[in-house]
Amino acid sequence: MLPQRFKLWKMHFKLYRTRILIGLAIILLIAASVWGMMSLESFYRNQTLAMMPLQLIMVALNALIFVYMYMNLFRTGGTASKNIRMKSNLVNVKWDDVIGLDAAKTEAWEVVQLIKDRAKVKNIGGKIIKGLLMLGPPGCGKTYLAKAIATESGMPFLSMAASEFVEMFVGVGASRVRQLFKKARELAAGYGGCIVFIDELDAIGRNRTFSQFGGQETNSTQNQLLVQIDGLQEKEENVIVIGATNAPEESLDPALLRPGRFDRKIFIDRPNLEEREKIFAFYFSKVKYEKSLDIKRLARKSVYKTPADIENIVKESALIAARDDKDVIDFKHVSEAIERIDMGLKHRRSLVPKEKEQTAWHEAGHVVVLYLLHPTDDVFKASIIGRREALGVVHRNPREELFTRSKEALLADIKTSLAGYVTEKIKFGTTSTGVESDFNNAMATAHNMVWRWGMSGIGMIGNYSFYEAPNHGSDLAESTKEKLNKETQEILQSCLKDVEDLLKKEWKIAEHIANELLAKEELEYDEIDAIFKDYGKSQTKS
Amino acid sequence: MKSEVRSQRSEVRKRNLSSVFCLLASALVALSIAGCGPTFPKGEFKESIIRLCKKEYKLDVKVKTVGKTVAIYVPLTNLLDFTFALTPDAGEKLNQVILSVTRVVLSTDAKYDFYCVIAHDVKIPEIQIIIIKSVEDVRRFLLGDISRGEYGKRMLIDMRIAPQAQKERAIRDVFDRMKIDAKWQEGVMQDFFMSEPTTLGDIGYWAGKFYIKDVKLTEFLADEIASRIKLSFRDDKVLADSLALKAVKGLYFPGDTSNGGSGYFKVDITAEPRTAEALSSKEVSDGLFSYALKVSYDVMHGYHFKDFDYVEIKSLADGRSSKVMKEDLDNYKPKKTKIEDVMVFDSF
Repeated sequence: MLPQRFKLWKMHFKLYRTRILIGLAIILLIAASVWGMMSLESFYRNQTLAMMPLQLIMVALNALIFVYMYMNLFRTGGTASKNIRMKSNLVNVKWDDVIGLDAAKTEAWEVVQLIKDRAKVKNIGGKIIKGLLMLGPPGCGKTYLAKAIATESGMPFLSMAASEFVEMFVGVGASRVRQLFKKARELAAGYGGCIVFIDELDAIGRNRTFSQFGGQETNSTQNQLLVQIDGLQEKEENVIVIGATNAPEESLDPALLRPGRFDRKIFIDRPNLEEREKIFAFYFSKVKYEKSLDIKRLARKSVYKTPADIENIVKESALIAARDDKDVIDFKHVSEAIERIDMGLKHRRSLVPKEKEQTAWHEAGHVVVLYLLHPTDDVFKASIIGRREALGVVHRNPREELFTRSKEALLADIKTSLAGYVTEKIKFGTTSTGVESDFNNAMATAHNMVWRWGMSGIGMIGNYSFYEAPNHGSDLAESTKEKLNKETQEILQSCLKDVEDLLKKEWKIAEHIANELLAKEELEYDEIDAIFKDYGKSQTKS
Repeated sequence: MKSEVRSQRSEVRKRNLSSVFCLLASALVALSIAGCGPTFPKGEFKESIIRLCKKEYKLDVKVKTVGKTVAIYVPLTNLLDFTFALTPDAGEKLNQVILSVTRVVLSTDAKYDFYCVIAHDVKIPEIQIIIIKSVEDVRRFLLGDISRGEYGKRMLIDMRIAPQAQKERAIRDVFDRMKIDAKWQEGVMQDFFMSEPTTLGDIGYWAGKFYIKDVKLTEFLADEIASRIKLSFRDDKVLADSLALKAVKGLYFPGDTSNGGSGYFKVDITAEPRTAEALSSKEVSDGLFSYALKVSYDVMHGYHFKDFDYVEIKSLADGRSSKVMKEDLDNYKPKKTKIEDVMVFDSF
């Protein structure tokens, strides 16, 4: 009991020694003042006391002016970091609150167990994991998981964003790193362990540059971080460093990633269908929603969405429901929220009837081809209400997570893009500039199919674009380029013909959709699906 | 969650602030306690001066108090040199005594208004130096309320033959000539010629006895006016070249309070013209009155003294006299007000 208490006192002294020493100095000064006053004759004592309030005001005023000047002139040069310590009980993110990161949680749980019971590992003779790197796209819950680890392990949690280390003055970042780890070691000595969390690690963890034109501050900060992590191992202190970044692993400095530093890497990816369902259920549990709302369907509709996106969708849905003066959130609100997040706010322009009609037909063409030909994507919504620069839009989303694209899907992408152009040409006998972004997409896909992915019909395989990279120079023969470009155009022409054939065949459906769009301006998936079913068509499945 | 964390942090901050406040408050209380109580209590007042002079400067002094006045007798050796000027050694010792008295007078709970230092040479005790100071002036000077120059003008310094010595010498001469028995001489001397002083000019120390009176502010001010006029003659070349100051005397006459009168100051100046032209010069005479008027204004204004009706200034050389009423003196502005606007002359 006593040694433990002594350890705590020692830790408190180390942590707060500046404050303790200042406090002692103040007490000594006060004692000296009292003693000095006692030795003064009463007249001079009274004179001194009478002047004291004014002196106190003057000192306070001087201090204020000094601090103000210091903060303004040298604030950026100060090495003192902000209050970074959080007690684990104040972090307040429970392990069970982390939803949908099952794989990452399993790996992290192991780390938590190691932190909590390091003796077990030591008995076996193993070395404690000192660094844990969380990688993955933004908004997937890296920080959230780190907080949950802190809560679960019950240890002090020091959190800092890597950008807070970086200053314009060389050496400030390194100094802050030293301060952070010094504090962590002191806390670990008192509480038996400490977690240091560095968010957005890429700010100091990028590949170091060895140039005379800057980058020294980042280099020195990173060097200091490397030294401190190594230092932890030498002293065998239970300090775990958790880094989080959404930058690709390759962009981080190899020295940082080598074993002994960030030993364990956890990739936190976007949630899968099941996880999205859980996340939707979690966030919907905090709001009022219509019980008929199909959460499974929402999960299917939100492929590639991160937990942060889903949270945002629910939040936005609540706002829309409130704006519509509704007590509960229904599917329409969620749909509008997704649309608002993905496509931006509606921007109503007054179009002349001719242009409006042309837009409706253009979008109807996209819808027909997308619905009937695309093997992986669904129509989510069609609209002729302007958003950003576009006059109309067909919003689609994949049915499931696919991490590669098949040739068929790519061809369907091209056909979908060309559908607007073809429809305008058939209906009006002319086309508009509204096809530009469609052509950009179609051409880029066709180009990549031929140049990069070996999907041409002439048997030329390989990634030719590598030899056309800006920093590589052009090593390709003109004849090769000509062949490749010709094949790109072949793909486009072939797709164009397929689209023409399809649209001519299904012209009535296109006309129906165009008329519906002109009447309603927006069509949800269910309405579109109903139209196709009326004509005896069902969606193509992959 | 965030608000919870924030409120806990603000609680910690509040606790820290309150402990800092407690620390400062206790320091102030401790300092205040340290500030209570006089260093030289009333009951040990005289002993404190004697002890301080002895302990710090090895000087033996005697102290007597009358009313609100303290008198300190300082016996010295080699007080004056052959030019009758104060020797540096004696000057230093006098300063040491004055400093000791000042320290005690300012740090006691006994209320004294004036102190009077009487120094004489033990070999020639007839010649004495008398310094009278107002305690309030000393306090104001130390607090920076008045300048060193002004402070210098506010003390009365006089070197003179002790009046008691003069009287004794004259009476003993009469006794010798009348052949009066020595045993009667002492009795007569004590009863008729060694009586307590009635004016500041009578203050002194003679034959082991203090001749001291309780100094009143009015008589102190009257003497200060006279003292300042003497200083004006020393410092002003134009005045000194035109007039030779023979004597100046300041007096205060209490008024009849039953008639609502407060009293008045009278300043008699005896200054003889140095040249024939100066004798008949109104300008020279006006200059003298102007100086006297300014000095009167400085003194009354400097002490915020209002308890008088007028100041009468009289030039004994030409018999010209003038009265300045209190209200006129209040409105007087040096360098701006013309002398005729405030002074009413009786004759020229």
